[in-house]
Amino acid sequence: MRHVGILAAVAILALTTPAAAHEPIFAPGAHVHSKGSHEVSLGYHRERAGGAGENETENELSLEYEYGVSADLTVGVEIPFKDKTVNANGSTGFGDIQLAAKYRYLRIDTPGTQYSTALLFRAKLSTGDDDSNPRLGSGSADFVGGLLHDLESRRWYYNFAARYRLNTQGGGNLEKGDKVFLDIVGGVRPVLSEYRDADTVLFFELNWERAARDSLAGADVTDSGGWELFLSPGIFWTYRNYAVTSGLQIPVAENLNGAQPTSDYRFKLMGKYAF
Amino acid sequence: MRAFFLAVFLVTAVAWSGAVLAVSHVYRLYVDGLACPFCAYGVEKNILALKGVEKLDIDMEGGFITVVMETGSVLKEETARRAVGDSGFTLRRFEAHK
Repeated sequence: MRHVGILAAVAILALTTPAAAHEPIFAPGAHVHSKGSHEVSLGYHRERAGGAGENETENELSLEYEYGVSADLTVGVEIPFKDKTVNANGSTGFGDIQLAAKYRYLRIDTPGTQYSTALLFRAKLSTGDDDSNPRLGSGSADFVGGLLHDLESRRWYYNFAARYRLNTQGGGNLEKGDKVFLDIVGGVRPVLSEYRDADTVLFFELNWERAARDSLAGADVTDSGGWELFLSPGIFWTYRNYAVTSGLQIPVAENLNGAQPTSDYRFKLMGKYAF
Repeated sequence: MRAFFLAVFLVTAVAWSGAVLAVSHVYRLYVDGLACPFCAYGVEKNILALKGVEKLDIDMEGGFITVVMETGSVLKEETARRAVGDSGFTLRRFEAHK
C-alpha cells in the first residue's frame, strides 16, 4: 500500500510539473532540456559480477520522464523494474524510484559550441522490495549531489562529473557505504550532420566509483567498500527528436576490500523520445 | 466599361501585393550554442509555436535558423530572442529578409 501511495505521488508530480541533449551513456551530462520540453526514455540495463563465491546478474527495465521547467532547470522521475539473481536465488519486481533535478547555473554560447555547468540532485526512494532475496531495493532513502561540466560542439565533446551519494540506513539495520563517482568523458561526431539528417556521436568514458564500507548495526562490514574503474565506449544516435543510446562498461582496475564479487560488465541500451 | 473595371482590378491587385511584399516575412536568426540536431529540436518546437510562423529550417553548419512567416505576419526580434533563450541558446544576430 505504501508503494502504491509513492507511485501515485510520483505520477502526480510528473503530471503537475510541466527536449533534448547529448549526454554520455553512464555519466550524467550538464545539458538540460529547453523550456516546456518533455522527454520519455525506455531503458534496458544489464550487469554481471562474480567472485567470492557469488555470481550476480541483474536485468533492469526503466521508464524515465524528464521535463524542462525552464531553459536551465530540468526535473525527472525514473521507475525501474528489476530481475536480479544471486547464485540460485532470484527476485523480480519494482526497484527504487528516483526523483531528479538538474540546474544549469552557467552557460556560455559561441557559434557551434556550448559550455554548460550544472548542479545535480537526485533522491532515491525506498520503493523497492528490501525483504526479497536478493533485495530489489535498498530499503533506504538515498541522496545524490553532483557537479557537472560539459562542452558540446559540432565535432568534439567533453564531460566532467563529480557526484557524492549519501546512503542512509535501510532494512535489517544495514547502511550501505556512501559513494563517490568521478567521470571523465570525451566524444566525437565523426560526420557533421545537418538538422534533418541522422546524427551519431561516439563517447569514451572513464568512470571511477569508490564506496565506503557498509555498516551493519553500527559495525563496519569487512567485505565491503573499495573502488572500481571502468572504461566505457558508447554511442548516441539521433534522428530529429528520437534517440537511441548504448554503451558498455568494462572494468579495467579495482581495489575492493576483503572478499567481494567484482564487476564483469555493465550494459545499457536506451530509447528516447522528445516532444 | 469592362476594360475599365479590369484595369482597376489589376492596379488594385498589384498595389496590394506590393504592400504585402514590402513587409519582411523571412528572417534569419544567428544562434550561438547550436551544436547538435537533437538539441536543436527544442528551438524548432519553440519557434514553430510562435504566432504566424509558417515554417523554419535550421542550418547546423552555418549556425542559423531561417524562419518563414505567414503572409502579413511579422517576427519581432524580442520575440525571437525569447524563444531562442527559452530553448537554452543565445540569439546573436537577427536579420529580416524580403
